[in-house]
Amino acid sequence: MNAWLVAAAGMSLSFIPCAFVCLRGGPVDRLVGLEMTAVCNSLVLLLLAEAFERTLFYDVALTLSLLGFGGGLVFARFLERWL
Amino acid sequence: MIGQIAIDVLLGIAVLVTVLSAVGIAVMRDPYQKLHFIAPPASIAAICVVAALFIGEKQKQAAGKAVLVAFLLYFMNAVITHATARAHYVREKGTWPPKEPLEVVRE
Repeated sequence: MNAWLVAAAGMSLSFIPCAFVCLRGGPVDRLVGLEMTAVCNSLVLLLLAEAFERTLFYDVALTLSLLGFGGGLVFARFLERWL
Repeated sequence: MIGQIAIDVLLGIAVLVTVLSAVGIAVMRDPYQKLHFIAPPASIAAICVVAALFIGEKQKQAAGKAVLVAFLLYFMNAVITHATARAHYVREKGTWPPKEPLEVVRE
């Protein structure tokens, strides 16, 4: 087990408060929890890519950071207009 | 040896900042307050992770992709935070932009 894997495991602990917010808050609180999860998930995937020495995983982190941004904007617009 | 210590310190800072910010999101009551806690992982933690990758990674192409991820997180965080805060304001007040200048509320 190397330092990257330990850091990825430690950073994964941040998913617990985010899940708590997503399960218990109001609609905008849940959106904030989702956005935080997307940021943390991108960083965890970067760390896992380095831990497993798989260059392909960097593309997954890159894709997730882009899709997390787009998804967050769509949800914000949806909450603003229709919900 | 010094490089490994630098990597460990940078990763420790990144993990600490991320976990504390996640706890901050769970503790704060208002969505406006919660939104502030997305910024530290997207800026400080991302920069620390990329710096550690640059020290430890031998393939500079992979480190370049990590820089791109940090760049996206850093700059798009401001956009998405503004969009979420605006959505919350519209849900509360019903209109955007505000009809009168916003006031800073001090408790």
